[in-house]
Amino acid sequence: MLRLLKRSVQARAVATTVALSSVLLVVLGGFLSISIGNGLFDARLQQVLAESEVAVLDAQNIFAASSVSDEVALQTLMNSVVPRLEATGIADSRRVALLRSPGQTGAQILQSPISSGLDTALISPDFRSEVRSSAGRVLYQSIQLSQSENGIVTTSPGVVVGSPIDIPIAGNHELYLVFDLSSEQQTLSFVQQTLFIGGLAIILIIGGVAYLVTGWIVRPVKVAAEVSEEIADGALDVRLLEKGEDVVAVLARSFNKMADSLEQKITKLASVSKMQQRFVSDVSHELRTPLTTIKLAGDLIFENRNELDPQLRRSAELMQGQIERFEVLLSDLLEISKYDAGAVLPELEIHDLTKVVTSAVSSIEPLALKRGSVIELELPEGEVLAEFDSRRIDRLLGNLLANAIEHGEGKPISIAVGLSDDAVAVRVTDQGVGMTESELERVFDRFWRADPARKRTSAGTGLGLAISLEDTLLHGGSLDVWAKPDEGASFRLTLPKVQGEPVKSSPLTLPGSNTSTGGLDLQ
Amino acid sequence: MTPKILVIDDDNALREMVGIVLSASGFEPTYCSDGNQALSIFESEKPDLVLLDVMLPGKNGITVCQEIRNIAGTPIIMLTAKSDTNDVVLGLEAGADDYIVKPFEPSELTARIRARLRPVTSSEAVVTLGSLTLDIEGHQVLRNGEQISLTPLEFNLLLTLAQKPKQVFTRELLLEKVWGYQYKADTRLVNVHVQRLRSKIEEDPDNPKIIKTVRGIGYRAG
Repeated sequence: MLRLLKRSVQARAVATTVALSSVLLVVLGGFLSISIGNGLFDARLQQVLAESEVAVLDAQNIFAASSVSDEVALQTLMNSVVPRLEATGIADSRRVALLRSPGQTGAQILQSPISSGLDTALISPDFRSEVRSSAGRVLYQSIQLSQSENGIVTTSPGVVVGSPIDIPIAGNHELYLVFDLSSEQQTLSFVQQTLFIGGLAIILIIGGVAYLVTGWIVRPVKVAAEVSEEIADGALDVRLLEKGEDVVAVLARSFNKMADSLEQKITKLASVSKMQQRFVSDVSHELRTPLTTIKLAGDLIFENRNELDPQLRRSAELMQGQIERFEVLLSDLLEISKYDAGAVLPELEIHDLTKVVTSAVSSIEPLALKRGSVIELELPEGEVLAEFDSRRIDRLLGNLLANAIEHGEGKPISIAVGLSDDAVAVRVTDQGVGMTESELERVFDRFWRADPARKRTSAGTGLGLAISLEDTLLHGGSLDVWAKPDEGASFRLTLPKVQGEPVKSSPLTLPGSNTSTGGLDLQ
Repeated sequence: MTPKILVIDDDNALREMVGIVLSASGFEPTYCSDGNQALSIFESEKPDLVLLDVMLPGKNGITVCQEIRNIAGTPIIMLTAKSDTNDVVLGLEAGADDYIVKPFEPSELTARIRARLRPVTSSEAVVTLGSLTLDIEGHQVLRNGEQISLTPLEFNLLLTLAQKPKQVFTRELLLEKVWGYQYKADTRLVNVHVQRLRSKIEEDPDNPKIIKTVRGIGYRAG
């Protein structure tokens, strides 16, 4: 239920409407019920008081007019007054009591006549004393009448009316008339019941109306939401129905306009991307064929450079070096533009990372030894298995190692492999020139080189780390760098063991907090 | 006798330059610049090896490769500018033995050619493998007396596996032994050629009995 309310605007609107109108109806019904009850009671009370006055006057007259002198006759008269008063009046539901006022001189000789079924306890002593001091006025008090029928006690509202009455010989008496208001109570109950049923019906009707009306308003929004979902899922040609002139039609029209321009943009971008890919492929072929010829020719000249005079020989050597550089630059450019075109798919297989590391180290070791750097390996026991594209990771490690050698100033280079439950990592650390913080921030930028004033010693293109980062991201991993000027630099590659699985932390640590991160941020 | 190499490439400069490199390395180059004439020149020249550019005007290199393979087992090495596209797999499936990615070194080119022209050597004259009989001298394979036509590369691949039955060969080892690669190479070469070989020697290529795949490692015979 709560979830439905959270999910559906319509349910929420209907529920709110029903709740608010219920509160209103309860307040209104309560007010009506109270005022009807009061009205009924007041009307009956007036009638009761009028009747009572007549009855009191009647009784007073009877006693005043009588000429009884002995007690027996008086008792008879008094006894006859009660049934007489019971019989007069509209309601047959009244009881009468003629009670002698206490505290008079002389013993009570005469019995107080009381209607059968009337409990004199209903007439409270307080009320009686009020009546005695009322100087002939008629007073009333609301009471609860209880009736016992077959052992079931039911109560009904009632009114007791009292007035002092003076009886010759017998002294001061009080006349009480007790009226049953159960018929008024019944009327009130009936009215309340009707109000309740009517209210319930009105709430149901209001709920239904609210449902229908909100349905009309919510439906176009719902349809728009569904269509947006479809468009988001790739069905770019889905549109809303434009009908009429109202705000819904305006929504549909602007929605469709938006979808049109989105579709155009996406189609255009897709074709640009396709063109880009084709361009890359064309450039690849068109540049590579002449480069092959140049390379073959250059190589032939270079091989035979000793037959040339010194200037030509030096030219041949320079050309040879630059052809190589051009080749590396071309392949790096093609690689990075393939990433830009989103045309790269890794060939994922489960490999042992230590094997890839060992082979990358052994293939670069000659260069390291030439520069005087020793490569120290720190490998864990056993296999370090993970899912990756071994060609790309091998290239990445080669690149990190080449960087370490280039900037390592002939000092030892260490390469460590680590593994945890969810990740594997390689860390390449040199003790060379290092980098400043601002250099560290730009380390993955294309064509960026740490310290451009320094003599270039290797044929690096400035794209190496940018490609390494792309290779890392392709695997859902991260490439972090730590560096400090004159202390060295440390690159850490972290890869998930299983592609697509999240990595909580890298199995290896970096030497300090002075780091730059490519890809996912790991601690 | 100098081996004759047919260079099929539409780029005049590259074709001539490759020719110079081949001549300097002791091969006899012969040329073709158009895919449509490739087959007739192949038939008239009868080269010992073909260098074939994948992108050719007229018929493309893949079609030319298929046509040559239909009539001869002559080694074919593709020249391609794109190593990571389907072109390579298509070329290998069309019957090319190996491929070289442009730009390449002269030494790389001659090493690939020499590896393909190297004769098969074996201490035994005849090797048997299941229902197959490999006649090394006659360079032919018989199944129940019936001759199966294999290219030199396929013969070499089968012989390498058959000489050490039960031994599992990794793709890298096969690349070294059969293709002559000293260093990492494309394992697709092995996969495609094993498939081609199976389609010729296996009774049910989908359920191979002679060359079995050892998952995650490589292949073995028997």
